[in-house]
Amino acid sequence: MGLRDRFRRLVQKPGTVDLAPFQAVVADAGTREDRVRELTDDELTAGAFVDDLAEFCAIGREAARRTLGERPYDVQLVGMLALLSGHVAEMATGEGKTLAGALAAAGYALRGERVHVMSVNDYLARRDAEWMGPLYRMLGVSTGWVGQASTPDERRAAYAADVTYAPVSEIGFDLLRDRLVTDPADAVLPEPAVALIDEADSVLVDEAMVPLVLAGATELAEADPRYADLVRRLRPGLHHAVDTEARNVTLTAAGTREVERALGVDLYAAENLAVLTAVNVALHAEVLLHRDVDYIVRDGAVKLISESRGRVALLQRWPDGLQAAVEAKEALAASPSGEILDSVTVQELIGRYPARCGMTGTAMAVSGQLTEFYGLEIAVIPPNEPCVRRDDPDLLYATSADKEVAIVEEIAAAHATGRPVLIGTADVAESERLARRLARAGLDRVVLNAKNDAEEAAIIAEAGAPGAITVSTQMAGRGTDIRLGGGPPGSVPGTAPASAGASARDRVAAAGGLLVIGTGRYHSSRLDDQLRGRAGRQGDPGGSVFFTSLQDDLVTRFAPDETYKGPTEPDGRIDDKGARWIVGHAQRVAEGVDLELHRNTWRYNHLIGLQRRELLVERTAVLQGDHADRMMAEDAPDRHAALVEAAGADAVADAARQILLYHLDRCWADHLAFLADLREGIHLRSLGRGLDPLVEFNREAVPAGKRLLPDARARAVTAFRALTASASGIDLDAAELKRPSATWTYLVHDNPFGSLDERALKGLISMFGRRH
Amino acid sequence: MLTAFARAFRTPDLRKKLLFTLFIILVFRLGSVFPTPNVNVKVLKDTADAAKESNQLYGLVDLFSGGALLKLSIFALGIMPYITASIILQLLTVVIPRLEALKKEGQSGTTKITQYTRYLTVGLAILQATGIVAMASTGQLFQGVSGGDEVLYEKGLFPIIVMVITMVAGTTVIMWLGELVTDRGVGNGMSILIFTQVVAVFPAQFWSIYKTKNGFVFALVILVGLAIMAGVVFVEQAQRRIPVQYAKRMVGRRMYGGTSTYIPLKVNQAGIIPIIFASSLLYLPVLATQLWPNTKWLQKVQPYLQQDNAWHMGIYFVLIIFFTYFYVAITFNPTEVADNMKKYGGFIPGIRPGRPTAEYLDYVLTRITTPGALYLGLVSLVPMVAFALLKATQEFPFGGASILIVVGVGLDTVKQIESQLQQRNYEGFLR
Repeated sequence: MGLRDRFRRLVQKPGTVDLAPFQAVVADAGTREDRVRELTDDELTAGAFVDDLAEFCAIGREAARRTLGERPYDVQLVGMLALLSGHVAEMATGEGKTLAGALAAAGYALRGERVHVMSVNDYLARRDAEWMGPLYRMLGVSTGWVGQASTPDERRAAYAADVTYAPVSEIGFDLLRDRLVTDPADAVLPEPAVALIDEADSVLVDEAMVPLVLAGATELAEADPRYADLVRRLRPGLHHAVDTEARNVTLTAAGTREVERALGVDLYAAENLAVLTAVNVALHAEVLLHRDVDYIVRDGAVKLISESRGRVALLQRWPDGLQAAVEAKEALAASPSGEILDSVTVQELIGRYPARCGMTGTAMAVSGQLTEFYGLEIAVIPPNEPCVRRDDPDLLYATSADKEVAIVEEIAAAHATGRPVLIGTADVAESERLARRLARAGLDRVVLNAKNDAEEAAIIAEAGAPGAITVSTQMAGRGTDIRLGGGPPGSVPGTAPASAGASARDRVAAAGGLLVIGTGRYHSSRLDDQLRGRAGRQGDPGGSVFFTSLQDDLVTRFAPDETYKGPTEPDGRIDDKGARWIVGHAQRVAEGVDLELHRNTWRYNHLIGLQRRELLVERTAVLQGDHADRMMAEDAPDRHAALVEAAGADAVADAARQILLYHLDRCWADHLAFLADLREGIHLRSLGRGLDPLVEFNREAVPAGKRLLPDARARAVTAFRALTASASGIDLDAAELKRPSATWTYLVHDNPFGSLDERALKGLISMFGRRH
Repeated sequence: MLTAFARAFRTPDLRKKLLFTLFIILVFRLGSVFPTPNVNVKVLKDTADAAKESNQLYGLVDLFSGGALLKLSIFALGIMPYITASIILQLLTVVIPRLEALKKEGQSGTTKITQYTRYLTVGLAILQATGIVAMASTGQLFQGVSGGDEVLYEKGLFPIIVMVITMVAGTTVIMWLGELVTDRGVGNGMSILIFTQVVAVFPAQFWSIYKTKNGFVFALVILVGLAIMAGVVFVEQAQRRIPVQYAKRMVGRRMYGGTSTYIPLKVNQAGIIPIIFASSLLYLPVLATQLWPNTKWLQKVQPYLQQDNAWHMGIYFVLIIFFTYFYVAITFNPTEVADNMKKYGGFIPGIRPGRPTAEYLDYVLTRITTPGALYLGLVSLVPMVAFALLKATQEFPFGGASILIVVGVGLDTVKQIESQLQQRNYEGFLR
């Protein structure tokens, strides 16, 4: 290691974890390779221990060679060792992160610890668990996987395995559901031990922007179709106006008059708040949420599309009546609406695990956040083969129309030479628009988006075939491995050897490899880099280029004040430093907004987490002991004695427990609702000189939290007093313990209300300046 | 409040932060009394004392540099260059589009702006240090005081350069100390250091009142001072709350809604700025009489510029009231606030969003600023009245800008500690 690197590590620059000790171990493992190769399968399984790292490396390598037909490179073993010592390993795409991660997970499991391998989506969790299964079996480690559709029993079985693959959101929701069980046997999650995070930047940063929220159905609240009809009749511009970021829509004065005339009320009177809210929500659903961009309609229901993953999010809905408003807009049957029961941030979730590590291709860009929020250091693992991918500078156009024409031309040109092309688009609608254009140009293409996610594996397997054109959304942007020449039919998606496609591979390689085209920069440079990373794996040839325009969503939303007045070429191209700067600036603004969102989520949820923990201690005591029974005997002794006489001690204890649990959960949901209300307008506090919104928030939240336990107790005692008992048992119906009939999760990420008060706050601070 | 402090010291990581802040303050004070090489400390002390006796201005300089400047210490320039630099960059951010764009990029941009602020601080420090050392060497620093040109041992180029470099280095260290407090201590580093500078001279001033007057006057001054301080704390905390409702989420409306969402308008919404504006403006003619001592009409004006002159006080009072309104007007833009509320679905019950809301806010703001402006004017007159009554030779510590700074930073810091406690309260509760 050079002097410069030593100094960088001394001043704690990110990404300066020393790899030399790991490399020494791997070199040692190399000398044992021949001996280990002689062992039988059983001897190999028996020899899998982690006490001697070099021996474990050698055995792991041999096991992978025998079961997967793939011999891990030295760099993969170095990556595995970095994971085993609790770092985030930055490994370029196609370097075999999955295998390195699986070996590390096996290592942790052989140390006797239970490992959760967290990924971003179901597809990757299942694919990796099944693909790595043989390897784990040979090393004597059991595995399981969890997806959105898994049943509680499947989940319990999967979590009981040594290594469990699951999307981070599923683990979070299981945690939330476990916190609400009324019978200890219903819980599915074991004690947390090791979290191994695949695509660490996506899980720890993108998914951590907003808390995971669990909601429960209490009643069927239908949005009044009157409002949907009313707002449909309003005229854009005249009756309502959308802000520059296209995130908020408001009634104009004329629009207010129109609505008031139609409804016959004064909208802004305090008592008509519900009407005004209904109008606002309907307006939002009508104007700002677009079919095939924000959601699709499938099987007569509205399905949300996750912006960062480009996939349909099952069991996710918009909060606060927006879901019902969208259903009214699409004239669909209303689904149950509910209230927030509990929430957890990704930081909190990951923080529960004593040991954490992760891997990704793009860690350095978020090194600050990984250290700030998770205390993770990055180890940069060098690639096995130097990357020869050609990353061309962005092609910038004045208008979207010019850009789209140029994209089709570029695709046609590459296609003519037999090069496979992968196109990454921003949303479902854009992918379909582009597909239609390509069809008109006579090009044969495959579309991969949220609408046909079932065919994902097959589409990705063929994306590297000669002349293939694949139009995708964010879906293909991460985790998918595209082999040149296409995979053999029926093979496991991933990296099984492609002997049948060898000649096809050579043809593709000769033509220049896979060409990745981005139809616009994403809201973070990491996503761009991930998309680029689909090409040029393992030293393959490949290329990438992004087409951008000054009319892109990113630019108009995040850099609305910057204008370009320079010349454009006849085909609409702009080759100007200033114009390029605008695009980069817009992306940096978007990244800054996201960072602020992430930080605020963390800051505002910290206290909530502590309060939740305090409540959970009480709840666990109630759930597992006779805490509730003793409490009732103490606070309502006569009633308690009478009930025991009538129904027996056990039945009373059980009733007391159910009642207290219900009121603890009830109080917590009310508390969360109060905090959500408080949070919504807290940015206004910054208008008072010297007032910090976070301090003001905590000032109100702490006393409210202190009242939780006494309140729950008082309510439970009242309910207990009202109980009636007969010989057959206690009649709990009188206590009205309405448990939610179904639970689902809210996609708060796209909740424009939640995130924007933060932006408003920022605006206000900059508006009033910092004062001392 | 004392229990809060006790609890703060019982919380381990909070105790660490508090002790760290105190340690930084200690380092800061040490550096403020540690003389720069080449300074004749004995001569300097005598001259500085004589200068403070003869001219009020030196007392003021002393007050705002924590006594460091007139000691020509390694921290002679204090935190001021850093504050000036950050104010300049804040203003430039509004003027220069590239800087504005940087700021919009969030943290990465702000980091760059902070870096520019540091460079500018060094630049300003070089200017100021050169000026002060040059003035000290030629005797201009203490004009008209005997021995004023003998404060330095040597007046060659090299010793002067060493002194300048020492002071500039000192300023950079102060900047670093401030940032350390912000990062790892409690409160805003810059404010804490300014607070330290202002409070540092208090003991000396009390002592001089005790020495020159009798014990009774001293006790009276302390009593009146504490009463003023209590009054300032009271008014600084006072606010008018305008209720706001948000209508963008369909949730079962609950009883507690509405009470916790409001716009707080402070009685003293302007802070300390009007006083600084007014005193700077009144200082200009004083400066003029010193620069051109022989000009006829300036000589005529001179008596009215004395601190204890009733005309001077009256004009000062009126200027402060004017600047309070002015500052509130430029910092609180009712139209912008109304637009912001409208954008996110908020409204004041019974009042339409947009222009009617802005007009209502403007109306309330105008009315609440009246007591605020009168209060600022009165508080800033306290030291002058005391000066006239006591015939004190030094700045009266309980009044004007200094008490507002002390109370302001003190309140902020206590709030920060309280907030830190609130963030942890629950862990303590659990154990």
